[in-house]
Amino acid sequence: MKLKVYRYHDGMKEPRYDTFKLKSDPGMTVLGALFQFQQQFDDSIAFHYSCRGAVCGTCAMLINKVPRLACRTQVASLIKGELKIPLSQFPAIEETVKWNPEEEILVEPLPNFPVIRDLIVDTTSFFNYYKFVEPVFKPADKTPEKERLMDPSAIPELELYTNCILCGACFGSCPIDGKNPDYLGPAALAKLYRFHIDPREKEGTDRLERANIPEGWWACEFYGNCRRVCPKGVPPLIAIAKAREQLNDINEKKEEEP
Amino acid sequence: MGGVNVIVTKSLNHDDAKEKSGSSPQATIHSHEVIIIGGGLTGLRAAIQIADAGLNGAIISKVHPLRSHSVAAQGGMNASLGNVPGEDGKNDSWEMHAYDTVKGSDYLADQDAVELMCREATSTVIELEHMGTVWSRLENGKIAQRPFGGAGFPRTCYAADRTGHNALNTLYEQLSDRDIPVYEEFFVTSLVQDRGRCNGCTAIDIKTGTVHGFVSKAVLMATGGFGRIFSRSTNALINTGDGHTLALNAGVPLKDMEFVQFHPTTLYGTNILMSEGARGEGGILLNSNGERFMEHYAPNSLDLAPRDVVARSIETEIREGRGFDGGYVNLDLTHLGADRIMERLPGIRLIAMDFAGVDPIDDPVPVQPGQHYSMGGIDVDINGATILPGLYAAGECACISVHGANRLGGNSLLETVVYGRLVADKIIEDNPIHLEPDIEPIKLAIIDIEDKIGDIMDRKDNGNFFRVKNAITDIMFNKFGIFRDSDGMDDGLVEIKNLQEQFSMLSPINKEKPFNQSLIQFLEVDGMLKLAEIIALSAIERKESRGSHTRIDHPERDDVNFLKHTVSILNGEEVDITYKPVILGMFEPKERVY
Repeated sequence: MKLKVYRYHDGMKEPRYDTFKLKSDPGMTVLGALFQFQQQFDDSIAFHYSCRGAVCGTCAMLINKVPRLACRTQVASLIKGELKIPLSQFPAIEETVKWNPEEEILVEPLPNFPVIRDLIVDTTSFFNYYKFVEPVFKPADKTPEKERLMDPSAIPELELYTNCILCGACFGSCPIDGKNPDYLGPAALAKLYRFHIDPREKEGTDRLERANIPEGWWACEFYGNCRRVCPKGVPPLIAIAKAREQLNDINEKKEEEP
Repeated sequence: MGGVNVIVTKSLNHDDAKEKSGSSPQATIHSHEVIIIGGGLTGLRAAIQIADAGLNGAIISKVHPLRSHSVAAQGGMNASLGNVPGEDGKNDSWEMHAYDTVKGSDYLADQDAVELMCREATSTVIELEHMGTVWSRLENGKIAQRPFGGAGFPRTCYAADRTGHNALNTLYEQLSDRDIPVYEEFFVTSLVQDRGRCNGCTAIDIKTGTVHGFVSKAVLMATGGFGRIFSRSTNALINTGDGHTLALNAGVPLKDMEFVQFHPTTLYGTNILMSEGARGEGGILLNSNGERFMEHYAPNSLDLAPRDVVARSIETEIREGRGFDGGYVNLDLTHLGADRIMERLPGIRLIAMDFAGVDPIDDPVPVQPGQHYSMGGIDVDINGATILPGLYAAGECACISVHGANRLGGNSLLETVVYGRLVADKIIEDNPIHLEPDIEPIKLAIIDIEDKIGDIMDRKDNGNFFRVKNAITDIMFNKFGIFRDSDGMDDGLVEIKNLQEQFSMLSPINKEKPFNQSLIQFLEVDGMLKLAEIIALSAIERKESRGSHTRIDHPERDDVNFLKHTVSILNGEEVDITYKPVILGMFEPKERVY
C-alpha cells in the first residue's frame, strides 16, 4: 500500500505529489504513516502533530478527500473502504489528482485554508473568527464565593458544543467557507452557541446578535458536512438552526409590537 | 560578531515585529517584562495573572496553546470541596487531602508545598468555574466529585473525562479576551544570562527558521514533562523535556529525575491514557484467568490503590504469565452499563473504539502500564524560583515537590493551575527588584544559536538520526521502567553514552530553514539524550525502592539513607549528583499500606 502526499513550498510553480510505499503495521494510523514517510523517505515534509490521541485537534488534514484527524484514521480501514463519509461536494474536495483508493492513501492539506507548506495550513482566519464571537464566559451575576450551581440536566446539551477541539475539519469541509471566505464557519458559530446556552450567562439573545450578520448564522446552507466530519460529534447545524429560530422569534415579536 | 542589526519590538502584537528584508544579517528581538515558555494550563494561568497585574507578559509556545498536552488530561482535579461526603459520612478537609498526597508521595514530597497546594485547591477549582469551565454536576447543582486512587474521599472534581480539555479551553478563552501575545510555533533554544541573572531567551521561529531574541526581566518555564523519552508513553509527541534541557544548560539543577510515573492503564498498542476515572467509576482489572488480581496486592484499596502500586501489580501479573499475549491485562467496564459509560467516560470509550477497535460497553479494554508523568523536574523553591535569579518554573516541568516519589491522580491538573497562579504572583512581587534587561547579551546569544545550528547542519554524516530517537526511548522503557536493577541500569547507561556519541556526528538531511521539523526534532533528541543520562544516574544512585522507583535489588524503602531529594547539575559535560533534605512537618514518614 502507498501513501500519496501533497507537497508544496514557497517558490514552487505548482504543488506535486510524492508517493511512498508503506510498511503497514497493524493499527497504523495516517499520522504514523507520515512519520514513516518523514523518517525513511524525506525528512523535509512538514505536517502538524501533537497528542496522537484525537484530543488536541492539531493534525486535521484532507485524507482520501475527507477532512479527518490523521492520528485517528487507521490506514487499514481506509484501504478496506470502511471509512467512507458521503459529503456534499464542492471544488476543493473534488478529484484533483488521480489516485487508486484500493491501494493508495491520498493525504492533502485541509481545504478552505491557505496552504503554507506541504500539509500545513494557515489557521489565522479560523482563529480570527473564533475571536470574533467573543468566546469568553460572561456571567449574569457577580462572582459568588462558591461555585455557581448548575442543573445537571443542562450539561449534556452544553457538552455537545464544549467538546469542540477546534481542529478545523468542519471549516475545511464546508462548501460555504469554500466560496465565501468571510463566513464565520461552523466551529466559531458552535462556540458562540455554547456560551449562549450556558445557564450561568444572562438569558436573552445578546450573544446570538453577535453573529446576526450575513456572514454569520445566515450564511449557512445546511449542507451538513461539518457534522459528518467532526471527530467529536459536534452539531453546528443544530446550533445554527436554533439560533436562527430564536432570532426570527425576536424579529416577529418586534414586528407585532405597535 | 557585532554586526547584527536589531529590530526591537515592545508592541503587544508580535505580528508588527516582522523582519525587514535586506542583505545584512538581522535579528528580531522582542521585549516583554515577563516571558512564559509553554502554553499549557500552567503557562496560560500564569499569563492571565501577569496581565491582570498590569505587567507586559507574553507566551512562547512550540505549538498552538490549545494543542498543549494539558488538553489530554482526562480524570480530574482534586479539591476538598466536600460536595460528596466520604463513606462514613464525614466531610473532606484540606488536611486530609494533604495527608493522602504526602502518603502517596512515599514521604518524599515537601510538606510545605503540599500544604499550600491543598489549601489553595478548593478556591482553584471554583476559580475555574467562575471563568466558565463546565464541570460535571451533582443532582444538587454542585461540582461533582469522584473517587481516585490513594484518596480517602471522593475528592476529584471532573468534567466527564475531558477535564483538561475543558480547563484548557476556559483559560485560552480568558487569554484571548485579554489579548495576551502568544509566539506560536517558536522553539526555545537557550536561556540568556546577564549579570548573574536570567534576562530572556532565544527561539527559532519554526515557520521561517530564523532565530529571534526575547528580552525580559523574568522568565517562567512552563514546558511540561519529558514523557517521550520513554517508548511506551501516554504523553503527547511534543513532550520531549525541552524546558528541562534549557534549565540544565543554564546551570540550573534538576531534582528527583529518577521518579517517573507509570500509569497502570494505557491502551495496549498505542499507550493512549485510559483515565483512572474509569476505575473511579467502578472499572476493575482482570488477568488472563479472569481474576481480580488487585485483591492480592492491595486488599483494601483494590483497583483504586495509588498508581505505582497498581502499575507494579499489573506488570507482575504479566511477568508471571497471567497477562495476555503481547503483555496486557483487561480493564473491565462492561458491568457499569452503557448509560454510565456514555455519561462519565465518553472520551475513553471513543479512544478505545478508535484505537483498539473495542467498545467498553460490550468488551473489556486491553491495557498495560506506560510512562505518564514526571515527578521530578527543574529544582525550585516553594515560590517557584530557581537558583538563577529571574528564572522560575511551575507545572510538570518543575519539581516544587508536591508529588514526591509518586503522584496521586487528580493532583497534576491541580498543581498546574495553583502554581501557575502563585508563581506568577511571586514574579509580579519580584518585578520591581529585577534589573532592567540589557539587549547586548541577547544579541550575542542569537549569534551563538545560529552558529550551533550552522555546525549541526554542516556535519558530514547524514545517517538517519531518527533511529537514535527510537533507540533511546526503547532503552529507557526497558532499562529504567517499572522495575529496575543495577545490572540493567548500568547496561542502559552505557547504551545511552554510545547513542550520545553517535548522535554528535549526525545531522538532519533537510537543510532548509522554513518549517524544518526535522531540525526541531533533532534539537529535541539532543536534549533527550542528556536527560536520559540524568534519569539513569539518579536512578542508579538511589539504592532503595520508593514510590515509582522500584529496585529489585533494593526492594525496601530506606529512610535512613534516602529520605532526601536527588539534585543533578551539569558540570561541563559531566553530571554531578548531590542530595538535599526533604521538608517534613505535618506528617511523620511511616510504611505505606493500602
